Amino acid sequence: MGRYLQLLKLQLRTSALLAAQYRWDFLIDGLISLVWAATAIAPLLIVYSGRSQTMIPGWSMNEALVVTGWFILLQAILEGAINPGLQAVVDHIRKGTLDFVLLKPADAQFLVSTSRFQLWRVVSVGTGIAVFFIAFGRMGRAPSPAGLAQATVLLCTATLVLYSMWILIVSTAFYVVKVDNLTYMFSSIFDAARWPSSVFRGVLKAVFTFVIPLALMTTWPAEALLGRLEPVTLVYAIAASLGFAAASRTVWLLSLRRYASAGG
Amino acid sequence: MISVRGLKKHYRVHKRPPGLKAALKSLFKREYTTVPAVDGIDFEIKPGERVGFLGPNGAGKTTTLQVLAGLLYPSDGEVRVDGHLPQKREVAFLKKIMLVMGQKQQLLWDLPPSDTFELNRAIYDVPRDEAKKRVDGLIELLQIGDVVNKPTRQLSLGERMKCELAAALVHGPKVLFLDEPTIGLDVSMQVVMRDFIRTYNEQFGATLILTSHYMDDVAALCPRVIVIDKGQLSYDGGLDELVQRVRPEKRVAFRLSAAVPLSALEGLGKVVKNDGAEAVLQVPVEQVNAVVGKALQSLPVKDLTVENPPLEEVMSELFSRSRAEKGKAA
Repeated sequence: MGRYLQLLKLQLRTSALLAAQYRWDFLIDGLISLVWAATAIAPLLIVYSGRSQTMIPGWSMNEALVVTGWFILLQAILEGAINPGLQAVVDHIRKGTLDFVLLKPADAQFLVSTSRFQLWRVVSVGTGIAVFFIAFGRMGRAPSPAGLAQATVLLCTATLVLYSMWILIVSTAFYVVKVDNLTYMFSSIFDAARWPSSVFRGVLKAVFTFVIPLALMTTWPAEALLGRLEPVTLVYAIAASLGFAAASRTVWLLSLRRYASAGG
Repeated sequence: MISVRGLKKHYRVHKRPPGLKAALKSLFKREYTTVPAVDGIDFEIKPGERVGFLGPNGAGKTTTLQVLAGLLYPSDGEVRVDGHLPQKREVAFLKKIMLVMGQKQQLLWDLPPSDTFELNRAIYDVPRDEAKKRVDGLIELLQIGDVVNKPTRQLSLGERMKCELAAALVHGPKVLFLDEPTIGLDVSMQVVMRDFIRTYNEQFGATLILTSHYMDDVAALCPRVIVIDKGQLSYDGGLDELVQRVRPEKRVAFRLSAAVPLSALEGLGKVVKNDGAEAVLQVPVEQVNAVVGKALQSLPVKDLTVENPPLEEVMSELFSRSRAEKGKAA
């Protein structure tokens, strides 16, 4: 475990060296992050610009803004920490250099997952947190310590689910070489997480709750911060994230086996 | 050190006749055939040996190497490398081996090679001072002191290959798998790489398996060769004996002070070349002395050398011969 922490530190250092080489990215990423934040908030403003103050059932505009904050935050984690490393797997498979990873005496999933970070995406994390401050500022209150604690747990479960889904998608790269379309599809589905889950009805609601648990990623953490999360939801979130993690690990290992016995 | 018994590696590939109709049909129903990449080979390699794998493209050399390195599961047979089953990819096994592929690279593209060395040091869990000593030694042997701190993308192919080798040796492996390590390099860089590989083998007693298209690599590095053709082992033994067996002839090259007519040479042996300044004859081994004696008397010889026929020719003759034999058997 200590060794893996040390490895993570070293991989982060490598990414930091890369980030320092391309320092203009800092400025560009900063700007992009602001544009993303604006485009994430704009639809809310449109929806809430009508006469009624609660267009989304059960959510005032400021409350919905908290959901948007989580969306920005998780998107930053996805694009800064999860996506780059796993994109590397796809490249490895295409170029045949995954062999080098598999020959290393360390877990291959760990090595590829941590191989790249887009560190400038930290700017977007800051933007997400700023949105929380604005939303709570406009509501004139602050999250309770219990709410913060719940939100922290949900941040971990959301990240784990997001990561596991990504691993599941990337594992398909072992079967079909072009996964670009799949990753686009996932990105656009993830886009729906900018809305509180109560906007979805019927089949969509079921899909976004059980198949792709978007509620777990943004709505529940927002509810936690707002202090209205049912504590039992935490249990669901933890169970679901562990389930996803176990499933993705299994699929990853099976895919590696396939690569080893078919490859070449 | 390495033992291979009855190794088979078969691939199941889907077979499709050409044409759009067949392509559409194959969307729904596919027919598969089994392709034997490696079809039952056996050999043993002792610690510290340098062995060359030879064979035409698609003969099964790389597949065999990948099975030995644990990247592929064998379809049948047993492979052991220093007591380990490679396909289990145990940490202890992985720390003992290295694989360099001339056509693929592990160095981080945008960062200097020294960063890849450090990353590999951590991944292989090599103590810092031990790694430093080893890397310093490698830098000196390969003379890459002034390139290890430049971003990899700025290096020439030769510099990059040297650094690839160094990166793969940071953990001090005992078994080296080299798949076409000199591909694309110019002749002088090939020589540098060969010298380095031999020195490393002698200094550390590492076992070495090499595949290469450059016969000179094999001739310079490997006292023993294993010839694989169509997934089967067609020769295992010394390189010299192989040449002897396939071509029990020598080449005698004369440098001449004056041109001689073809008829003066034809009585001595098979004429390979006669351009006025140089004449080359192919002569059965047992007749070399007699031919040289006669030539010195009858021809204006300035200088002469006796050599084996070029390895490329020996190989192509061996492969075409084994095909013809198989054709006959079938």
